[in-house]
Amino acid sequence: MPQLSLSGLVKTYGAARALDGAGLVLRGGEVHALMGENGAGKSTLIRILAGLERADAGEILLDGRVLTLGSPAAAEAAGLRFLHQELQVVPGLSVAENMHLARDYPTRFGLVDWRALHLAAEAALQRLGVGHIGARVPMARLGPGDQMLVRIAATLLQGSGPAPWLYVLDEPTAALTGAEAARLFTAIARLKAAGAGVLYVSHRMDEVLALADRVTVLRDGAHTSTEARADTDQARLIHAMTGRELSDMYPARQTAALGPVLLSVRGLAAAGLASLDLDLRAGEVVGLAGLAGSGRNAALKALIGAVARRGRVELAGAALAVTPAGTWAQGLAYVPRERRAEGVMLLRALAETVSLPHLGALSRLGFLDRRAERGAVAARGAEVRLKARGPGQPVGQLSGGNQQKVLFARALLGRPKVLLLDEPTRGVDVGAKFDIYSLIRGLSAQGVAVLIASSDLPELIGLCDRIAVLHGGVHTQTLAAEGLTEAELLARCYESPTR
Amino acid sequence: MAHFLRTYGTLLGMVLLVGFFWISLPDTFMTARNWLNISQQVSMLAVVAAVMTVVMVMGDFDLSVGSMASLAGVVAAVMFVQGFGIAAGVAAALAVGLLGGLVNGLLVSLIGILPFVATLATLTMYSGLAFVISGGKTIFGRDIPQGFADFARGGIALGGDKPLVLPYLTLTALAVVALVWLLLEQTSYGRRLYAIGGNMEAARLAGVRVTWLRLTAFGFTGVGAAVAGLMYAARVASANPTQGAGLMLSAIAAVFLGMTMAENGQPRVLASLAGVVVLGVMDNGLTQMQVDSYVREVLVGLIILLAVSISALGRRAVTGR
Repeated sequence: MPQLSLSGLVKTYGAARALDGAGLVLRGGEVHALMGENGAGKSTLIRILAGLERADAGEILLDGRVLTLGSPAAAEAAGLRFLHQELQVVPGLSVAENMHLARDYPTRFGLVDWRALHLAAEAALQRLGVGHIGARVPMARLGPGDQMLVRIAATLLQGSGPAPWLYVLDEPTAALTGAEAARLFTAIARLKAAGAGVLYVSHRMDEVLALADRVTVLRDGAHTSTEARADTDQARLIHAMTGRELSDMYPARQTAALGPVLLSVRGLAAAGLASLDLDLRAGEVVGLAGLAGSGRNAALKALIGAVARRGRVELAGAALAVTPAGTWAQGLAYVPRERRAEGVMLLRALAETVSLPHLGALSRLGFLDRRAERGAVAARGAEVRLKARGPGQPVGQLSGGNQQKVLFARALLGRPKVLLLDEPTRGVDVGAKFDIYSLIRGLSAQGVAVLIASSDLPELIGLCDRIAVLHGGVHTQTLAAEGLTEAELLARCYESPTR
Repeated sequence: MAHFLRTYGTLLGMVLLVGFFWISLPDTFMTARNWLNISQQVSMLAVVAAVMTVVMVMGDFDLSVGSMASLAGVVAAVMFVQGFGIAAGVAAALAVGLLGGLVNGLLVSLIGILPFVATLATLTMYSGLAFVISGGKTIFGRDIPQGFADFARGGIALGGDKPLVLPYLTLTALAVVALVWLLLEQTSYGRRLYAIGGNMEAARLAGVRVTWLRLTAFGFTGVGAAVAGLMYAARVASANPTQGAGLMLSAIAAVFLGMTMAENGQPRVLASLAGVVVLGVMDNGLTQMQVDSYVREVLVGLIILLAVSISALGRRAVTGR
């Protein structure tokens, strides 16, 4: 089995030290998880492996011989393959063509041999055990999970160059649904069985614990621990990542009396959602659970007014507006699922993202009251424990967790009555996750009603008072979260409506 | 160094440019009279560049500003020919500008056509309309009211032994730039336009009425183009259906030059004004040096490429890609 060992890696950017002597050993036939908070140095380490950056110091050995990774081509020649969160695919081309993007198309008489192209693609897909994906289907018609599988399958195409033996997957499930992730895990098992190694970078504890043979944790650019899966558990890993004791991720529930009904939903329907009935009381935290496509995210989009809806919805006794402008003004606030696409303005000052829905209240006769804006942004930023240089820093320079906090600060600025959260801790590191959970608890104690749609079941159970389960767009049942186990909730998610 | 070049490269270029002309034209360039002259020469361009900034802030374009300027001038002149007064002519031209701008806005925001395509089509339409209305001829002479043309020749006397005059056209341009600055930098309306440019879907989900704002912003740009057309017509005391044609490209060039100065390469109206000044100084200096006007165009194009290239290279050096 090949072995790649990295040791003593140092990389500095200006005054900031991204890597400070980090190292790990990767072997074929093994899944090695890499964990750490944002800024721990995971990305830098991967960029060095990929030949995108050169380390200032340190050594990389492949089977005992020094390996110089000066360019992406060198990394590829060493048998390394990289799959990033944002996949590079060409949506208009077929699966088979996407798989051949980086190599020559098979030809006959100087023309593309389409039959050979498709056969080669199908063979590679079969080898990965993902024969359900058709080679001729346009890439655009596949979900993000299948697109990722296609990208992995592309590395299995027979032909030129050294065979890949090490796959680096950077947060591969960030955009995937549960079912898609399950398929990816099956594919990873196949790669491993065939002798390939996997470096699996993820924030998701459950995935790491289920997949990894060994787990390495980085903190502040340095190696903290490497342990076999059998010797570690969630508490140890969290401690290694944060240096803090987080015996429980979820702050204790306060048993405050619930207030009056703030949000009343009757027969809510929209694209992807057939019906939802729900009463949300002041101080209550309610979850929306369900498999991918169950309508949990569609429900939130319908409530905020992003898509057309039917049904009767009242906020504090008044009919809910049908546009985002109206619903925000009425006291609804929303943290969208796709942070970068739907939430923040990456290039602009973070204060502008925070104040955007509240500009009306922050201006007089149409003129912005900048002092009021600065004060409000600073106050909400402190409330969500945002780490940034200042209100003028562009959002794009912040870590994922802090970008999410920007959106929470935005949601809180108008003192909302009801908070809609769509995957609130997606792609967020452990520390920021804990901050967000504490925040949600604190808000509910102040009488804010919170509705959370999440694919993270432990999160729903840990945070919510009640959980509404959706299946295929239909609201099938509502469960008390207290005492609920993850297995039971998952089983409920699979139950079809009894009608 | 890279960062310095990115932020100040264009300003540095501007200083070098001024220095070059100062040395080459020691007697005539660095004089109050010449600068007032430049300010009048660029006043129309400044107006168009300012209102172009309004749509470019949203990541949109308006290619029809030049032909709208021509159309507005022609509309006013035709009104004068019909015996209407200055106020009526100006009002009609501005109304046409508003209407044309709103049509652009409608196509872009409600129907969802790419701004490039939509305004390319209306560019042709407005230009054609200007020909139709004017009969393809230049309207001049007695039909143009004296007061209308006098506005462009007049100004505020600044004194001095050879009396200097601050032209009304310059003041008009400054007023428009100030108005756009207030709108973009000081109002919630402007902030929302920047938000649309920053992330349109995020803006929509955050309660920004994207459709309405894009519609009105294009309307504003249309009015601005009409103002520039009126200024032009007053300055030459005549109107013909092609006189605004050069404004669009220069205005976009000015905004681009400005974007090389602004943080994160975003359009800012004062930066656009600086871009206008760069173009105006070049034009003025090269004309005085009797450089052929075609060569001038090549040089202007080169300067724009140079500024944008330095800015792009600087950005690459900063972000490392």
